[in-house]
Amino acid sequence: MNQAPKFHAALLTALALSGACAAPRGSSGVDPERGIALLESGDTGHAIVVSKVIACDEGDSVYSPGLVVTRNAKIEYVGPVRDVPAGYSYHDFRSAIAVPGMVDLHSHVQSGGFGDTNDMVMPVNPEYRASSALRPSNRLVKLACAAGVTTLFGIPGSGTSMSGFGILYKTKTSGTFEDCVLRNPGGLKVAQAYNPERRAGDLGQTRAGLAWILEDVNAMALGATREGRDDPALVNLQRVHSRDLPILIHCAGSDSFPAAARMWQEKYGTRCVLSHGCFDAHATAPYIVQTGAPINAGPRTMDYLSTRDGRITGTAAVYLAAGARNLSLNTDAPVMPQEELFLQGAMSAHLGADSYQMLRAVTIHPARSFGIDDRVGSLESGKDADVVITTGDPLDPRSRVELVLIDGQIQYNRGAEGQLF
Amino acid sequence: MILSLLLSSLAAASSDQGTSTPNLFALRVGRAETVSKGVIEHAVILVEGGKIITIGEDLPIERGIPVYDRPEWVVMPGLVSAYSRYSLDSEGGDDNSPEVLASIELYPASEELRKIVETGVTTLGLYPPGNGISGQAVAIRPLGETKEELILRDSAYLKILSRANGASKRAIKDGFKKADEYAEKEKKAKEKWDKDNAKKGSEKKEEPKAGEEKKEEAAPEKGGYVPPEPEPKAKPFVDLRAERLRAVVSIQSAAEYLHFLDAIGEEKFPWDLRLPITRESDLFYVLRKSEFELDVDGIGDKHVRCIMEPVLSVMPGTLRTRNLAKDVVAAGGKLAFIPRGDSFNDHRQWLANVGEVVSAGLDRNVALRAVTLEPASVLGVEQRLGSLEKGKDANMIFYDGDPLEASSRLKAVMLDGKFVFGEVKL
Amino acid sequence: MRSKWYSTLLSGLLLSAFSLPTAAYAQEAAPAAKPADGKAEEGKDKKKADEDRWLAVTNGDVYIGPGALLREATVLCKNGKIHKIGHDLDLPADTKVIDAQGMHVYPGLVSPSSSGLVGNTAGDFADTIDPFNRNMVLGLAAGITTTGVGNAAVKLKRFTIKDAQVRDRAFVTMVWSGRNPQGKKGLREKFVSTAEYLRQYRDWEERVKREKDLKEPAKKDVDPGILMVLRNEAYARFSANDRDDLLGIARLAQEFGFRPVIEGCTEGWTVADELGRAGAMAILTIRNQSPKDETLVRAGGSSIQNASILHRAGVPIAVVPGQDSVSLDGIVGRDIQHITVEAGFAVRGELPDDAAIASITTIPARIMGIGHRVGSIEVGKDADLIVTDGELLHYNTHVQWAIVDGKVAYDKEKEMFFAHIRPRKKSETSEVKLDKGETAPKPEDASKQDGDKPADGEKPKEGDTPKDGDKPKEGDKPEEKPKDGDKPEEKPKQG
Repeated sequence: MNQAPKFHAALLTALALSGACAAPRGSSGVDPERGIALLESGDTGHAIVVSKVIACDEGDSVYSPGLVVTRNAKIEYVGPVRDVPAGYSYHDFRSAIAVPGMVDLHSHVQSGGFGDTNDMVMPVNPEYRASSALRPSNRLVKLACAAGVTTLFGIPGSGTSMSGFGILYKTKTSGTFEDCVLRNPGGLKVAQAYNPERRAGDLGQTRAGLAWILEDVNAMALGATREGRDDPALVNLQRVHSRDLPILIHCAGSDSFPAAARMWQEKYGTRCVLSHGCFDAHATAPYIVQTGAPINAGPRTMDYLSTRDGRITGTAAVYLAAGARNLSLNTDAPVMPQEELFLQGAMSAHLGADSYQMLRAVTIHPARSFGIDDRVGSLESGKDADVVITTGDPLDPRSRVELVLIDGQIQYNRGAEGQLF
Repeated sequence: MILSLLLSSLAAASSDQGTSTPNLFALRVGRAETVSKGVIEHAVILVEGGKIITIGEDLPIERGIPVYDRPEWVVMPGLVSAYSRYSLDSEGGDDNSPEVLASIELYPASEELRKIVETGVTTLGLYPPGNGISGQAVAIRPLGETKEELILRDSAYLKILSRANGASKRAIKDGFKKADEYAEKEKKAKEKWDKDNAKKGSEKKEEPKAGEEKKEEAAPEKGGYVPPEPEPKAKPFVDLRAERLRAVVSIQSAAEYLHFLDAIGEEKFPWDLRLPITRESDLFYVLRKSEFELDVDGIGDKHVRCIMEPVLSVMPGTLRTRNLAKDVVAAGGKLAFIPRGDSFNDHRQWLANVGEVVSAGLDRNVALRAVTLEPASVLGVEQRLGSLEKGKDANMIFYDGDPLEASSRLKAVMLDGKFVFGEVKL
Repeated sequence: MRSKWYSTLLSGLLLSAFSLPTAAYAQEAAPAAKPADGKAEEGKDKKKADEDRWLAVTNGDVYIGPGALLREATVLCKNGKIHKIGHDLDLPADTKVIDAQGMHVYPGLVSPSSSGLVGNTAGDFADTIDPFNRNMVLGLAAGITTTGVGNAAVKLKRFTIKDAQVRDRAFVTMVWSGRNPQGKKGLREKFVSTAEYLRQYRDWEERVKREKDLKEPAKKDVDPGILMVLRNEAYARFSANDRDDLLGIARLAQEFGFRPVIEGCTEGWTVADELGRAGAMAILTIRNQSPKDETLVRAGGSSIQNASILHRAGVPIAVVPGQDSVSLDGIVGRDIQHITVEAGFAVRGELPDDAAIASITTIPARIMGIGHRVGSIEVGKDADLIVTDGELLHYNTHVQWAIVDGKVAYDKEKEMFFAHIRPRKKSETSEVKLDKGETAPKPEDASKQDGDKPADGEKPKEGDTPKDGDKPKEGDKPEEKPKDGDKPEEKPKQG
């Protein structure tokens, strides 16, 4: 409550300077000349005043107090508190914090927890699409939304070497398939090792066999491109090789983690993200970082059993220390509940990583790793209006998510509908 | 010093008993690891009748005494493997049978037993199998035609497996309870005897003039109080208390050390610890009271003798190695090594394994003692063997170099003054 | 038997003290302020005084109860008990001093259940406890100093096997489940017959004073566990989640006059008032998710607000994580090591901070009937303390020291598990020899730990984790909150 006078002061300053306030700026910057647009008929807009905006942008902008304005599906303004034209719905959260909606690149809750993740007949399935399994706004997705997770890469499981294409979608609590989809296909899911091993005795019992299975299908896709062949089963894999679509690679351990980097980053030059990186994979951090392949750590974020040096090692801290850029965290939901993505950040911070970097690891870093940072991952004008209002440190389990906007629509409002998580 | 020898000894030397080694002879070697008296360079050892008569540096040898002259050899006492099931195959159950003697299992004709001397082992301690208090070990020399020839000492130690559970701790307590019961019984018997004796004494006083013969008859009766024989299951514990018997207590973890101390309470008796060094060991926690604020004295504080394999261990859950043998000694404990297993090959590798632990930091002299004199003490035969000293059994092993070097070869083995392994000519 | 009665009485008294937290604070602060204790000590037999074991945690912010924090205070422990709490205390010579400058001091945490923390044992602790096992170290690193194992309450005492068990038969486990109607009927019948016996026995107890030859009533159909419960010697512990089962337990408890401890209690929030009236206590796992049965009209399923709703209805809440053993497989945040994280989620569901701390200290202690010994920092209680580098419930906080019965059982710097994570600037543990009247020297430069660093890229500062002032007050119903645009006078000027 004692913040109220401060807020007024800030407001007055903003008024006095008529928008030309010298607040910290993000890379996108606040154009002081450009006002907040008037809403035209049919437009919807929200203006949210908060004690602090953590924008997670390139310039690590923090506005305290701050204002986030959305117009239709996009962010209109992020910055210090200033005048807002009439017509915007006003939300007063002066004791809360605004952060970008969180992004999880490794998630299996698109089916709502009903399995439907792997078709195990063939070892490679470049023709499969996880989008067929999407149940928009299912219970798990709603929980995710209530925890501030707004974008998911819903993917097939790791039961086969190339298990198909995932779907990038928003966790809207109500919406049709079209409403929710961010990009379909969103990218490819590959399982390098540590699960796709084929136990029945056919090709792929060993790491060597698994590698060959992948090499073989890649050769087919590259061949189709070279010869101009039209193969519906390979068309999306060809897009992967032309760097049009990214890949999320299930890989772990100090064997398959670097093996994935060698194959997909160094040999094929694809836009690959190395997911998991658990067990003793962190031992290879310097090499992985040097290849430039982004790391998507989780659901295991700690190693004790494989290093055997007696230390409980937070893997995120190791990757950060090795210089990893765009390190992101995942839940592998439902392995960890989708709503606990932030807790992956908190626990990684507990085990030694910087907590601000861990917030970025669940927002802008995954978005950037997957080439969707033009849409999501940070609070910047022009981006998708995915805004999370929380009562405190977004990584702290004690903080409550008060309001979640996705594409400028209120998808969760604790005050109005009760606390879901 | 000049050797002065009786002619009779010389005569005896010529009349050899069956083997090629004479009864009296001298050894001249490059170096002797005596274990008890340090290293003697250019050592001369005189042996007669299976015993070491004398040992010293460059002693002159009287003319006529056969001499084994091996200046390139290093001699040390024969190895003592004190805690073993070598050549025995049965495995026992979980019941407590402290009265069982391992000696009943002895089989003098065993080829395996005879063969053990080829590893340099001249004394074996064999324990009875089982998981509880399984009985008493026997100390043997591996060569002999009869059991009696084999046995150096029966009831060498009582083997106790002490675990962190109620049953195991109760077994120890129950054993001493039986000893208590016996003590009570014995006290009563003594009282009764004293009473009877007093009566007799007064009767005797009534006989003022007793003949000498009668007195002689009475004398053994008077000093002849014979305590009642304890029950077989009580006897080992009575013997422990009277320090006629030692215990070897096997524990696997730090917790079991505390539980063992808890089980014995105030009870005083001589005991050594058997610490099986599995890969992971947390025994480093209980070496020193001061290090971890233990509420009891640690193994080192109590100067306990620890029987263990010459291997390194790792701290639980890690790959951090610890040289527990070294730690035990540094904390004040004593060390007796045993081979890594009970097989012939384990025995053959034994000294090389000890050498590895020495290269990992264990004191060399401690290590040599830990394969000879200390295990001899475990068996209660340290007065008789385990070091190269005047008067001790002539159990010796000869290497062509440092015994702890893996490249050194065992050239010969002598048991009770006889070469039992190696082609050794005068 | 008599001693048991006595202890029950004693704990009963302390329990009532607990329900008045501010009163409890006054109680413990009073003896701490009195200098008389120390003076009396000097007069005692010198030889005995030499054997006394002293430990002091100095300069820490000491959490002595709900809303009560003593800044830069000293907790002095003697022979395993808390001896004094206060400022500028005289420390006897040979006091082991832990300098908690810039740190927090909390009571050792209490978990009503766990497995594996005291070794692979489920009873018979004096003969089986493993005070060197890894999980005990990790339990202490999580701040836990006392835990329920089976029906017993056991301390995480390291380097000794003595006196680990605080209490045997802390619970009487009972089963009440809608899936087993026969079992419910059977349990109720046992309650009826046992209550009848108890009535007859008490009647006899009165009458036998006059009628000497009166026969003691026969123990026909008497369940010894139920007898303990009805005599208030131990709590009945149920495991139930379903609303109907919870109501059944509440009715049973009211009918026979006992206080049930209910583990799980997922749908407790739907019947909170009934449970509160029945004097129920609950052991909750906040993150347990169970969807509502949509075919039922009534409320149901799990709620993140379960703890706070029950708390408001007067149900004491203990919190345990979903996994009661130590997990080192790489998934972080859900096992017994993260008991404070689970309590943090209760705060998320609007349980007040102090109630959340109580849910892992005083309440579980009380549920196990050992509240007179552990769970809070009070003079005379067991010296079970943890020193943390931040707020107890903050995710970055690490336990720096855990003290059990006045002995250091865990020192983060000395154990290999967490020493590498944000190491202390220097080791503050030291044996100091002090003259009479001298206090332990304060370190010159006690730099603040970065444990409280906010996740916002700014320099660390106070207030990033929500302080009480920022939070909706307890009792604020969501619907009472201001709606959007409700306060036009505070709106930014438009247009």
